[in-house]
This record gives sequence, structure tokens and C-alpha cells, in this order.
Amino acid sequence: MPSISVKLVAAESLYKRDVFRSPDPFAVLTIDGFQTKSTGAAKKTLNPYWNETFQFNDINENSVLTIQVFDQKKFKKKDQGFLGVVNIRVGDVLGHLDEDTAVSSNRSREETITRDLKRSNDNITVSGRLIVVLSKVASAGASSAGRNVSRTSSSSNTVPNGGSPAMTSAATNASSHTPRRSTTASQAQQAQAVETTLQSGSNTTAAAAAAANSSTRQYSSFEDQYGRLPPGWERRTDNFGRTYYVDHNSRTTTWKRPTTEANDTSERNANTELERRQHRGRTLPDGGSSSSNINGDNSAVSVQVGNNSATPAVNGAVAAAFAATGATTSGLGELPSGWEQRFTPEGRAYFVDHNTRTTTWVDPRRQQYIRTYGPTNTTIQQQPVSQLGPLPSGWEMRLTNTARVYFVDHNTKTTTWDDPRLPSSLDQNVPQYKRDFRRKVIYFRSQPALRILPGQCHIKVRRNNIFEDAYQEIMRQTPEDLKKRLMIKFDGEEGLDYGGVSREFFFLLSHEMFNPFYCLFEYSAHDNYTIQINPNSGINPEHLNYFKFIGRVVGLGVFHRRFLDAFFVGALYKMMLRKKVVIQDMEGVDADVYNSLNWTLENSIDGVLDLTFSADDERFGEVVTVDLKPEGRDVEVTDENKKEYVDLYTQWRIVDRVQEQFKAFMDGFNELIPEDLVTVFDERELELLIGGIAEIDIEDWKKHTDYRGYQESDEVVQWFWKCISEWDNEQRARLLQFTTGTSRIPVNGFKDLQGSDGPRRFTIEKAGEEKQLPKSHTCFNRVDLPPYTDFEAMKQKMSLAVEETIGFGQE
Amino acid sequence: MLKLKLSKEQCNESCSSGMSPFNLFSSQRDPISSFSAGPVGDDLYHWQASIMGPPDSPYAGGVFFLSIHFPTDYPFKPPKISFTTKIYHPNINANGNICLDILKDQWSPALTLSKVLLSICSLLTDANPDDPLVPEIAHIYKTDRSKYEATAREWTKKFAV
Repeated sequence: MPSISVKLVAAESLYKRDVFRSPDPFAVLTIDGFQTKSTGAAKKTLNPYWNETFQFNDINENSVLTIQVFDQKKFKKKDQGFLGVVNIRVGDVLGHLDEDTAVSSNRSREETITRDLKRSNDNITVSGRLIVVLSKVASAGASSAGRNVSRTSSSSNTVPNGGSPAMTSAATNASSHTPRRSTTASQAQQAQAVETTLQSGSNTTAAAAAAANSSTRQYSSFEDQYGRLPPGWERRTDNFGRTYYVDHNSRTTTWKRPTTEANDTSERNANTELERRQHRGRTLPDGGSSSSNINGDNSAVSVQVGNNSATPAVNGAVAAAFAATGATTSGLGELPSGWEQRFTPEGRAYFVDHNTRTTTWVDPRRQQYIRTYGPTNTTIQQQPVSQLGPLPSGWEMRLTNTARVYFVDHNTKTTTWDDPRLPSSLDQNVPQYKRDFRRKVIYFRSQPALRILPGQCHIKVRRNNIFEDAYQEIMRQTPEDLKKRLMIKFDGEEGLDYGGVSREFFFLLSHEMFNPFYCLFEYSAHDNYTIQINPNSGINPEHLNYFKFIGRVVGLGVFHRRFLDAFFVGALYKMMLRKKVVIQDMEGVDADVYNSLNWTLENSIDGVLDLTFSADDERFGEVVTVDLKPEGRDVEVTDENKKEYVDLYTQWRIVDRVQEQFKAFMDGFNELIPEDLVTVFDERELELLIGGIAEIDIEDWKKHTDYRGYQESDEVVQWFWKCISEWDNEQRARLLQFTTGTSRIPVNGFKDLQGSDGPRRFTIEKAGEEKQLPKSHTCFNRVDLPPYTDFEAMKQKMSLAVEETIGFGQE
Repeated sequence: MLKLKLSKEQCNESCSSGMSPFNLFSSQRDPISSFSAGPVGDDLYHWQASIMGPPDSPYAGGVFFLSIHFPTDYPFKPPKISFTTKIYHPNINANGNICLDILKDQWSPALTLSKVLLSICSLLTDANPDDPLVPEIAHIYKTDRSKYEATAREWTKKFAV
């Protein structure tokens, strides 16, 4: 009877049954249920490589080879750690065994097959496949040599057949491929998704780049006019026609052409180190970075806060806030979105409406109360008829003995001169509205929904696989789990997370997940570091899950006071605050389009531009026409309706195209940060909340500033720098946002500041009149500074310009 | 959005059936700079254009082909135009890229393709050596004009006739 040799090379992508542990897989091979052999156990892997050869004798083509894979660590358990089974009918692979015997001496018969692992009867989920090499052992020698060969890896050498060496080499071949393939596969299913994305992403980009260049002399994407790129590097063009370089070795991208010299990586590492240092130096003005600090402020008056549901906690906080003023009240629920409660130096509570930028003594929650119950309030009957309508519930108007009117709030047992029905008070004791980032941050942090929950949230990642690992770890946990104290651990590294580890985690992770390499985000046309959602991210079928994950990470960073090393286009922060995106926001997204839209608004277009209310969008090489309003492609744009067109076009270009992705992102973000809490901030503050405020080196800034119409020695210029040196870091950051569109400073300092058309240094231009505010042109990193003649006036004008949130452009 | 715009231009500029595309404007406009343009195949976003070398320039007698890509956000963004015929010029490099302000930051949505091609024609007559794309050629242009003209003529004969 014939014999066959079975070489079990490897398995790949086995099912990961445990979250934290990979199995020790081994395989059991059985022919027709009577000859059984088994491999050794591979250690802790989903892609075991056994490469063991076994010989089975006395079989025919109807024999069935069964290979089962088990986890050795669980072999004693009920399911024996079952990881899947493959059944192979020998004849299906090797054909008629007898037939070939005659010619086998000069023909090697071996088949390498890959089979998917199947479930057994108990229906436990399995995945992955096996790679097996089957070959027929020539019967001539088999009867003598074959019989005593059992499982040893050297058995193939003893098989006296010309076919065997060939088989071995084929198997080695296969095996030399396998590990490489399995590293890719080992990054779990999600990784594959990304991997496919990358593949297809690169194809599209490469194809687009190729198409763009097709007419001129061609370089492949691995070379350019300076010669070949180093191994593993690829040249690509982004959708703005800018060339960038992809390093497939490290899965990173860069604008700089790589050189073949070895110092390249070390230079890159040095760069990363600089970025890391800059990232660590970022702060927020919230009076302390230690996580317990802020809660500590309130702890004295804090009432017992419920530890799971939000509602009791909210009431608790309100009670706490009122307790601090010495007033009493029952729970009123949370303040409306955009409102904040503050206290005068005397301890009296007042309310700031960041939406309208007004202040009032009146608790806005109580005003709603009036609307509902006001008419039935008995105290009104005692009041003289007033144009203002009834007093809020619980209020009473009284006269002093000098006949001056005053108001009593029985809810808080306080009195005031101010009529609570007047929205804003002229009382000099009520501070005027002033944007105060520090107080907003403190208020924001003190919200019950942002308190760290008891317990710990463990996240363990591998440094070199941080994106995938973090995805698995963070999506596996509930938002409540993620609100517990963060304990990040890098695989194989010692060290408890007292802040440093999680800082490093957010630093590394933001470099990965926002990396345009993954096609989820792309650089804006404004410069080469602010990022925006890639409208074509759908090339990754899993992209929405990733956006949700990224939203969670951004929320996690804000929640746990860790900064991301990433800066979005200004429009994205506005979108996060549910603010309407306007044409000025286009400047940070695409300066060319911004200029053209402005031109459209400023010039007569009738008979000049042939536009309809539609836009063309390229989706993976196919151009699709999108209506900007119903039947838009049939509606002509005229001088009358062009304002509407520009609005709709801007909205489509910035918001609508990435709606799905943005929604997923916000879903993730809002799981940690409630929507109505974050609206206390404006978009520039939100950028700082997420990314932190960098320590700005004014000397470096000054050194790399250009002047137009001014000399550095001019008095106004001197004042400008004096003003900046008097400001705090937040105001400086705001000036940068005002002038360049982002608070980010290039890693190597101001000399590397970028504009839409390459390097653009910070520029101060003499323009405008003295009574005007400074203006900015974020496309050119330029501020127009009128020739002021008075330092104080200038300082005040500059503060105003920078405070103005709708600010940039200000034409 | 684009279709309407391009088809109008197309009719203005290239749909002159039966006529040689090169004298399309010779009767109405600048007789020196003749050019034509039309889509490549049925891809409305990819056009090809040809320019006659202006008679008063060293490019006279040559026919230069250009490739034109309209971005989907045209006319809000400029078309991408490059020479596919080799040309010796301070503002046009070996890849055929053109350094012309209206194709970059001076772009205006009111510019039509014919205006752009006209500008390219006049760039051939009057190079701008102070904003060169190829500094070597610009240097020769400024210091030894006759050598520049000779080389440009030689290249024209070699690649564009």
C-alpha cells in the first residue's frame, strides 16, 4: 500500500479566543481515525509555524486526513482549546496513488495546499487557515524505509526519492513566505482592513498621481529626477498636487525627500524626539495638571456624587455650587448649553452666557421655570403691573425704608437691587463679560460628567502596533470604563502610569491615527500639518468604526487631561461646537477655493461664470455631480443668488462631504464629553483644550518674522513684540491662530512655518488705519498692522482682534 | 457645473469642423498666437491643446502640445497645464511644468482656457527670467540672449517641427 508524507507548515490568523493572551497552538493529524501524530506546540501565537513532516503508510486515495488545531494551554478544558479542523481526502489532492507509482521515480508529486479551518460539532467560532504540503512517498523504498520513519523533521531526508529534496525546498519556500505574511495577518482582522485600505489607498493615489503626470515624462513612484528612492519608500502626490513620501518600512509619511544615507532614520528619530518634547511642554491654564487638583477645589463643599448615573451627580454639583455661595436650592438640573456659573469676589453667583456674551444674575434655569409656571405664581399678584411681566418664581419685590425698590430671591435667600427680569445687569458689581479660558476650563472640569469614576481603566498596547492595539482596547471597553483612572501600559516595558506613560501613549497614538498614510485624515491645502477628514476615507470599509474610535480617543484625551499631538483645520473645531461653517473657514481648508469664492462674491459673474447649484466630486476616479439644493444642477448661479451658492458650496465642501465620518467621530467623542458641556468653549479654545498650549519662544518667533512696509526697529513693531511679551501663552496662541490659522508651531520653530504655497514666515505688514483693528491673512501667515501711534491703544486693538472668534480675515 | 462651462469654451475654441485648428483665431484675434484645445477622448476633465510658436520668437515654426487637467473644483481652482513637447524656456522645466502666476496664486475664476493659452503664448514671446523655473536658462537668457535664442531654435527644430 502506498505511503504519503504530510508536512504541516503553518497556520495563520487563528481565532483569538482570549483578549489578553494568544494560544499555544499544536496540531493533531489523523488518517482514517487510526494513525495519529501531533506537532509540538508553538508558543503564544495566532500564526504558528511548525514545519513538521509526518509519514502515513498503508493508505489509499479514499483515506481522509484530519488535522485539528488545539491550544495546548487549554487542552484539559472541556473544549480542549479547539481552534479548528481541516479534513482532506488524500485522493483529492494527490489523485490516484497507485497509478503514479510506476512513474514516481522521475516525477515528484507534491502539493502545497491552503485550507480554511472549519468549526467542529460544538460550533465554537474559529478562523484562519492551514498550510500543508502533501506528497506521495514512492513505494519502492517505502516498504522498507518508509515504515520505520515516524515524525521527525529529518524524515524527509531519509525518504529515498528524488522528489523529496524538491518538496523540502518548496516547503522552505512556503515557510519563508509564511512568517512574513503572518505578521501582517497577526494584527487581527482590523489590521487587515487597514492594510487593504492602504493597499487600495495607495493604488488610487498612485493612479491619480500617474494620471496627473501621464502626459509628461514619467518616473515611477519609486524614483524621481534625483534617482531612486531608498528601499521601501514611495513617492506620491496628494489631491492638491503636492509630492510627499511614504516610508513603508515605518508606515510614515513625510514631505521631505528621503536620502539613501543611513542617518535618515536617526534624523527622523531626532525629529520625533523634538515633537515629543514639544508635546510634553504643552499646558492648559486650569491651575494644575494633576488630575485630582480641580476636584480637590470642590471637595470641601461637594455633596456625595453618585458614581454611576449622571442625574444624581448633576444635582449634586448644583447643590455643591450653591453650597459654596451659602445659598440653598433644590436641584435645578444642568445649565443650558453655553452657560456657565461664576462668582463675584463677594461670592455672589452670576451667570455667563457664552452664546450671547452677556452676564446676568438670573439663573437661566429659573427663567425657563417662569415660562412654565409663571402665570400661576401667586406672588405676581402683589406686584405692580409691569411691562416686564411677572417676576420669576420665588422672587418678591420690596421697598426699603427709603422707598428704593429691591428684589428678594427666596430660592437663594439673597437680595439684589437688580430686577431679575432684566437679562443683563448694569450693576457695577456684576463683572462685564470677559472671555476667560482659565475659568472656563475650571468650570468645565468641575462638571460631574467629567469626574473620573472610581476604579481603573487598563489599556495595554504594543509600542509598534499602537493603532491597532489601542483600537481593540478602547473599543472593547464601555465609555464608563474609559472614565476610570487611566492605566496605560506598553507591552514589555516597566513603569506605572503616573501620567508620563499616558502622555507618551497619546503622543504616539495621535501620530498614528491622524497619519494620512491610513487615508482617514489628510493634510489641508493650507499647510502641511493641519489635518482634516479625508472625504475618500470610505476606501477603508471599516472607516466609520475608526472615526468613532478616533472620536473616543480625542474625548479620552480631553477627559483625562492628556493632549493629542494633532491640529485640525479651524472648521473642524467649529463643527465640533455645532457652529455654522462660513466662507472664512475655507481659507484654512483651501486657499485657492477661498480666493475664488471671494472673487465670485466681489465681482459680477453674470455672463462670466457658468455655474449651477451643483458641484463635481471625484470619488475614486469617477466624477459625480452633486446637487447643492434640490434640482440644483438646473439652477443657474446669478449675481442675485450667488451668496446662497457660496454658502451652500462652502457647506458642501467642508461639512457635507465628510458628514458620515464626522458623525461617527462625534459619536465617539460625545461618549466621553457631553455635547452641551464643550460648547462653553469657542473653536480656538477647543483647539487648545485638545492639543494644549505650547510654550512659545518669542525670540525664535521674532527672529523668523518678515516685515513689509515696516522695519524691525519701527516703534510699532517694537510695541507689537512688547505687547506679545506681556501676554500669557493662551493669548499668544490665539494670536497665532488669528494669523496662521492654527496654534501649532513647527517642530523646528518658526523658521519652518508653512503657508499654502510652501514655507511662509510670519509676516507683519503695514496696512490699515489707526482706528482699525489688525487684520490677518492666514493663507500667508500675515498680520496687517496699522501704524498705531499709542501703545495702550494698540494693545487694546490687538486684544480685541485676537479675542474676536469669527476673526480671521475680518475684511 | 463644469460641463456647461467647458462645452461653451469648447465651441468657442475648438469645434471648428473642417478647419485647421491652428488658424482658429487668426482672423479675429492676435494672429500671432494661434492655438487650439479640445478634450482627449470623452474625458471632459482631460484636454489637449496645441500652440503655434509665435513668429517673432525663437519658437517660430514649432507646434507645442500641452496637456490640460481640469480639477473637479474648476473654475475655483486653476487647470493643471504642462507642455508635453520639450521646450527650451526659462519658465518651463524639463517636466513641462509652467511657471505662470495665473496658474497659481493669481488664478481667477473668470479666466477662461483661451485667456490662459493666450498668456502661455505671450510667455513664449516674453519670458520672465526674474521668476525662473530653470535658473540656468534664465541666466543665459539674461547674459547671452543670442545663445539662448539659438538653443531655443535648435530645440524647436528638434522637438516641435
